[in-house]
Amino acid sequence: MDFYYGLAQIVGVHTLLGLSAYIVLLTGQVSLAQAAFFGIGAYTAGMLTVLAGWHIVPALGAGAVVGATTACAVGFPALRVKGLMLVVATLAFGEGVRLFFFNFDYQVAKGGIKVGPLGGEGFRQIRYFPEHGWTTGEVMVFIWAFVLVAMAALWWFDRSRYGAVLRAVGEDELAAQSVGVNLTAVKVSAMTVGGAVAGLGGGIYAHYTTHIEHSNFNVLVATFALAYPIVGGLSNVFGTLAAVIFVQVFLIEGLRDLGDWRNLLFGALIILAMNLRPHGLFGRRRA
Amino acid sequence: MLDLLQVVSDGLLFGATYALIGIGFTLVFGVMHKLNLSYAAASLGGAYCGLLVLKVAAGAPAGLVFLGALVAGGVIGWLVYLTCFHFIPLSNPLATLMSTVGMLLLIDEIIVHVTAGMPQNYPAMFEDVMLHVGGFTLRGDLLLVFLLSVLCMAGLLALLYRTKLGLATRAVSQQAVAAQLCGIRVARVNALTFIVTGLLGGVAGAMIGAAVGALSPLLSAPLTVKGLIVTVIGGLGSIPGAIIAGLLVGGFENVFQLYRGVTERDFYVMLLLFAFLIFRPGGLFAPKTGRD
Repeated sequence: MDFYYGLAQIVGVHTLLGLSAYIVLLTGQVSLAQAAFFGIGAYTAGMLTVLAGWHIVPALGAGAVVGATTACAVGFPALRVKGLMLVVATLAFGEGVRLFFFNFDYQVAKGGIKVGPLGGEGFRQIRYFPEHGWTTGEVMVFIWAFVLVAMAALWWFDRSRYGAVLRAVGEDELAAQSVGVNLTAVKVSAMTVGGAVAGLGGGIYAHYTTHIEHSNFNVLVATFALAYPIVGGLSNVFGTLAAVIFVQVFLIEGLRDLGDWRNLLFGALIILAMNLRPHGLFGRRRA
Repeated sequence: MLDLLQVVSDGLLFGATYALIGIGFTLVFGVMHKLNLSYAAASLGGAYCGLLVLKVAAGAPAGLVFLGALVAGGVIGWLVYLTCFHFIPLSNPLATLMSTVGMLLLIDEIIVHVTAGMPQNYPAMFEDVMLHVGGFTLRGDLLLVFLLSVLCMAGLLALLYRTKLGLATRAVSQQAVAAQLCGIRVARVNALTFIVTGLLGGVAGAMIGAAVGALSPLLSAPLTVKGLIVTVIGGLGSIPGAIIAGLLVGGFENVFQLYRGVTERDFYVMLLLFAFLIFRPGGLFAPKTGRD
């Protein structure tokens, strides 16, 4: 049973990661920086519970706030460039953050052992859950409570006036601007919300794996963050969830028996999916 | 001072390979206004296929390996076009972005699968030759890599500006619809662009293999990132820009490595990119009209 709980935890964290890219994609921006916000949230929350001894809930909140702040700060200069330039700018930012963590040492002696991030070796001993005697099932419920809140919030955003504005910018920037939409405000706010969701997801990720390192937040993770909403389609948040389940449960766990061939099929299936359903598996064809 | 000069010259020579990868990105972007994220992986794939020549005929000269990489690169380029672009509506940039990511993962995994993840030795064109000029050393193989890159770039520029195919390619990149109305088959030009960039990529991959001495699938992610950085610094769609930016990044990278060490090197390359994005967002040679 623990296996399925563990799988549900992975699905939950990846859903948060995908949702953070989803909201940015609604404005038509492709951001490869989501893994960086994810990593910033992970390191922040991990350091707060391990080094400062915080309770996990405020620590996750702080991770989300730091993620959002960074995303907002990156949004202003990065959104000066559009489209594919933005892809590269955010990619470079993401790699920059990863390399920062690769060189980041901050260790404190605690109870005879040194804890804290240590450069390339990563950040071990984020043992909040085991130390407080949480079972896998409880952790799963805890994670999904956050995921459901985030999904509900984004679903509501999507249906509100704000969501309509986001989609208007995504469909046609020029048209949106000419009816009085402030493009910078909309894009930066979407980026900020995305950063908050990614930071939250990162904080949770740090605590369920108990060990994080720079390579957990590389380009591949950023690509996965983008892949979920694109493969799932941008109609609503459930597309992202469905894509996470498709990738994590079906492709990664379901095909485990295939061994080595699974990885080969993985790329091929993404290509096939995009050829057959260019607007996402559950996406509506736009007019 | 001599140290610095030495380091810069080594960097410039290696930067030629970055320039080639950057040209591949920029050429596809210029013609189709699409990003082909699988390009660096495809280039490595071509270089790996070049190694097959050694499997068939052990002890074949390195030139044949390079030729094999060139041909294989072209074939892979065409396959990438067919699987990731041809059947997907061009109005949907996200779909092709994702399909090329799928291709990137697929090529990486094929390489890992076939080589069992082990790095493969790559033949150099000739044994260690060092040119000594005063207190100054030039690695012979890097010099050859540089010269070959220059040759490839010259060939590409001749193709683009001296042939009918080049004229068609430039026409499509300026205005695809107008080009189609003039009787240019856009799909064919797009496919040919992929084949040409694939050929370049195969050579670039082989030269990276020769310069590093070995090939590993671990190279594809850093090469993709460096190639994209070169493309943006040079200005999207600009070939001279990509060449100069490639050399620039190669040189800077080595200087940073000298002063800050290998773990921090790439961090400063990212900062260099950000400096460009803030002060010159269009890159060195921005196209005049504000294209997306």
